[in-house]
Amino acid sequence: MKNLTVTVSPHITQKSKTTRSIMFDVLIALSPALVMAIVYFGYHVLINAIVCMGCCFAFELLYTLILKKDFSRKAVKESSCWDCSSLVTGLILALNLPRVIIVEGWNLNVYRAMPAGARAVDYVAFGGDTIILCLIGSLVAVVLVKMLFGGIGKNFANPAATARIFLFLAFGMTWANTTGLGEMLPASTGATWLSSGTKLTNNQNMFFQMFIGNRGAAAAGETCMIALILGYLYLSIRKVIDFRLPLIIVGSAAVLALLFDGLPRHLTGARLVNNMYAHIMSGGLVFGAIFMATDYATSPNTFWGSALYGFGIALFTMLIRVFANYPEGMSFAILIMNITVPLIDKYIVPRPFGYHKKIKEKPLKTPDSPLPYNEAGKGGAEA
Amino acid sequence: MKTFSHGIHPPGNKERTKDLPIVRFDAPEKVYIPLQQHIGKEAAPIVAVGDTVKKGQKIGETVGNISAAVFASVSGPVTAIEKRATATGHCMHVVIENDGRNEEELLPPLENPEPEMIVRRIADCGIVGMGGAGFPTAVKLTPREKIDTFIINGAECEPYLTCDFRIMTEYPRKMLAGAQYMAQALGLSRFTVALEDNKESAAEILRRTAQEEKIDADIVVCRTKYPQGAEKQLIYAVTGRKVCVGKLPASAGVIVSNVHTAYSVYEAVREGVKCTARVLTVSGDAAKNAGNFLVPTGTLISELTGEWDDAAKLVLGGPMMGFAEHNADLSVTKTTSGVLLLTAEETFSYEAEPCINCASCARACPMHLMPMYIDSYILSGDAAGAEKYGAMNCIECGSCAYVCPAHRPLVQSMRLAKKKIRAKGRRV
Repeated sequence: MKNLTVTVSPHITQKSKTTRSIMFDVLIALSPALVMAIVYFGYHVLINAIVCMGCCFAFELLYTLILKKDFSRKAVKESSCWDCSSLVTGLILALNLPRVIIVEGWNLNVYRAMPAGARAVDYVAFGGDTIILCLIGSLVAVVLVKMLFGGIGKNFANPAATARIFLFLAFGMTWANTTGLGEMLPASTGATWLSSGTKLTNNQNMFFQMFIGNRGAAAAGETCMIALILGYLYLSIRKVIDFRLPLIIVGSAAVLALLFDGLPRHLTGARLVNNMYAHIMSGGLVFGAIFMATDYATSPNTFWGSALYGFGIALFTMLIRVFANYPEGMSFAILIMNITVPLIDKYIVPRPFGYHKKIKEKPLKTPDSPLPYNEAGKGGAEA
Repeated sequence: MKTFSHGIHPPGNKERTKDLPIVRFDAPEKVYIPLQQHIGKEAAPIVAVGDTVKKGQKIGETVGNISAAVFASVSGPVTAIEKRATATGHCMHVVIENDGRNEEELLPPLENPEPEMIVRRIADCGIVGMGGAGFPTAVKLTPREKIDTFIINGAECEPYLTCDFRIMTEYPRKMLAGAQYMAQALGLSRFTVALEDNKESAAEILRRTAQEEKIDADIVVCRTKYPQGAEKQLIYAVTGRKVCVGKLPASAGVIVSNVHTAYSVYEAVREGVKCTARVLTVSGDAAKNAGNFLVPTGTLISELTGEWDDAAKLVLGGPMMGFAEHNADLSVTKTTSGVLLLTAEETFSYEAEPCINCASCARACPMHLMPMYIDSYILSGDAAGAEKYGAMNCIECGSCAYVCPAHRPLVQSMRLAKKKIRAKGRRV
C-alpha cells in the first residue's frame, strides 16, 4: 500500500484544458492567418513571426531569471514562460506588423537589384530594420506591458496592441508603403483606401478580393477573412473564447458604419468611405475582434460586461476611422477599452443565484408592539 | 429539458458499477459505530463497556433539537467506547464485537399511519438525510413554513456513484412508498422524483411502478449536468423557484430529500427496521471489488476495499465533494454514499499556476459567483472583499476548481473565505 494523497475536493479535474493547451489552441487558430500572410506577403512575414515569438519567449525567460537572481537549470524549468503565452503574444505582434518597414537612417536592409523609379520597399531582400523593430516590439510587449505588471493574467493592456502602437508612434511605421502581391486596390498607389476618401464600389470583384485577402497595404495577418474565420470557428468550438464577443464587435461596427454613412459630408470630412463591407473587411477589425479583444486578462469577465466592452471597441474604431487623423483605429480602440475593463468589472457583477434586495429593517414604532417587526421576515433560516 | 444555468459536464464513470446489483455485505468481526453521523450535536452513548446489545438497539441518544439517535448494527458485547477519527474530524465511537447471532430488535410495523406517527417513527429509527449532508429527517419534515412541493432527489450528479440508481432500479416500490409516507408527513398528497437523463431506465421503472401502485408521483427527468443534485439547483430545475440567498429550501415552500432516505423511511415505517445499514458504491480504477453494497454502519472502510496497490487517493463520497482520507481505518456512516479508490491518472496533482482571468469558473458556478475574485481577495487577506462577492453563498460543489485551466484550489479558497468571514462576524 502506497501513501494516500489528501487534498480538498474536487478530486477530478478537466484534463483537456490547461493554460498551456489554451495557448496552443490560440496558436493553432492563428496558423491559417500566418499561412495566408506568407502566401500574400512572402517570406518576410515568416522571419518576423519567428523573431517575435523567439524574442517574446526569451524576454520572459530572462526576466524571470533576472528577478529571481537564479540562473540554475531548476530556475529555467520553473520559469513562467513555459505556459507559452509569450509565443501567442509574439505571433499576434508579428501578424500585426507590415511585411517590411524602412526606418529612415538605419540602412540595415538588404535590397535586390531594382529598376529605376521603383519603390525601394518592394525590393527588400532582407528586412534588417524590421527585425530590430520586432525585437523592440517584443521588449515592449512582454517586459513593459506584461511582466512589469505581474505576468500572465495581470496585465491591464493587450501586450501586442500596445507594442504595435508603440512602434507606430515611435518609428513612424506605416502600412502605406508596403505592398503584398495584391495589386487590386488603390492601396498599391501609396495609401490605404481608408485614407483615400474615394467612394468604393464593387468593381473588379473588389469585395471578393478583400474577402480572400488579396490586398496590399496592410498588417500581414489581418487581410484574409477566410483564414480569420477558420481561426474563429476553431476557438469557438474549443470554447477558448466566448463566440459572442467577436460577433458583437463586428456587428456593432457594421451598424455604426451604416449610421455614419448618413452623416452630412462636412461633418465627417473627406475621409468617410461609405461602405459597410469595406469597413468590416479592411484594417484590423476582424483580426482584432477575434484574437486581441478576446484576450482573457484584458477583457471583462461577464457577458454583459464584454458586450459593453465590444460595443466600445467598435465605437472607438469607427470614430477614429471616420473623424480622426489615423486611417485605422482598431488597436487604439482595444487599448482604450482595455483600460476601462477594471471599471466595467467593478460595476457589472452577476447577482448570486437567488439574490434578492435586502428589506430594510425598520425600528419598532412603539416599545410595546405585540410582535417585533422582523419576526415574519426571518423565514426558516435558523431552523 | 429541465435544468439550471451554468454547471459543468464531468465524465460520469458510472458504467463500471451501474449494472451490478446491490450485494449484502456481511457484518465484520468488529464494528466501530460513530456517535456523530449527522449534522448537529453528537449523540450521547447510553451503553457501557461490557453490555451486550442486539442489532437495532439504541446505543446513542439524541442531544438537543437537531440530532439523531444511533443504533447498533450487529449484535454482541460492547468492548470499548473510544475517540476515533471520522471522515471530517473526531468523535466517540462505540466498538461492538459481532457475536454472529444477528438478533434484531424491531419496532412494530405501522399500518396507515398518521403524519405525526410517521415523523415520530423516523426520529425513533434515527434516519438522517442519506445523500451526504446528514440532516436529521424528522427535523426536516417538521418545517415552520407552509410546504407545497416535496421533491425526491434522484439526480445523483456525482460521477462514479450508482447507489441511488440501484435503489431506484431494484426497490422502486419501497422507495416510492417511503416517499409517499414522507409526503404525508408534510401534509401533501403527491410528490416529485427528479432524475438526470442518464438514468432514463430508472425513470421508466419508477413511472411504471407508480402507475401500478397508484402512487401520485411526478417523475421529472432533468438534463445530466453537475451539480443537478444540489438542493437549490434541483428546486430551480423542477419548480422554477429560486431559494433566496441564505435561506433554507423550506422558505420557498419546497422540501428535498434523497432517494436512499425515502427507502429507509419505508423500512422504518412498514418493517420497523432502524437505520443501521446503507447502500454505497465502491468504485475507482484502483478498487478491486467494485460494486454496490448494503453495508452495516460502523464497518471499517478497509474491510470494504481490501488491499490495494496503486491508489493515489481514497475518497469518501463522490469525487467532486467527497473527502480524501489518509488511511482506511474509518467507519462507514449513514452518510457515506461512496468509497472511491482513485489512481493517479484519474485524480489530479497539478501545481497551481497564476490565474489567467479566463472567467471559466464564473461561467461554471451554479450560484453565479465570481470565484476568481473571491480567491484573490481572500489570498490577499481581504475577507470583506470576499464577502462582497458572495463567498458565503458558495455551495462548495467544486465546479470552479474542476474547470480551472490554471488548476487553482478554488474550493479551498472558498472555505477559507467562509471561515474568515464568520470569524470577522463574531469579533464585531
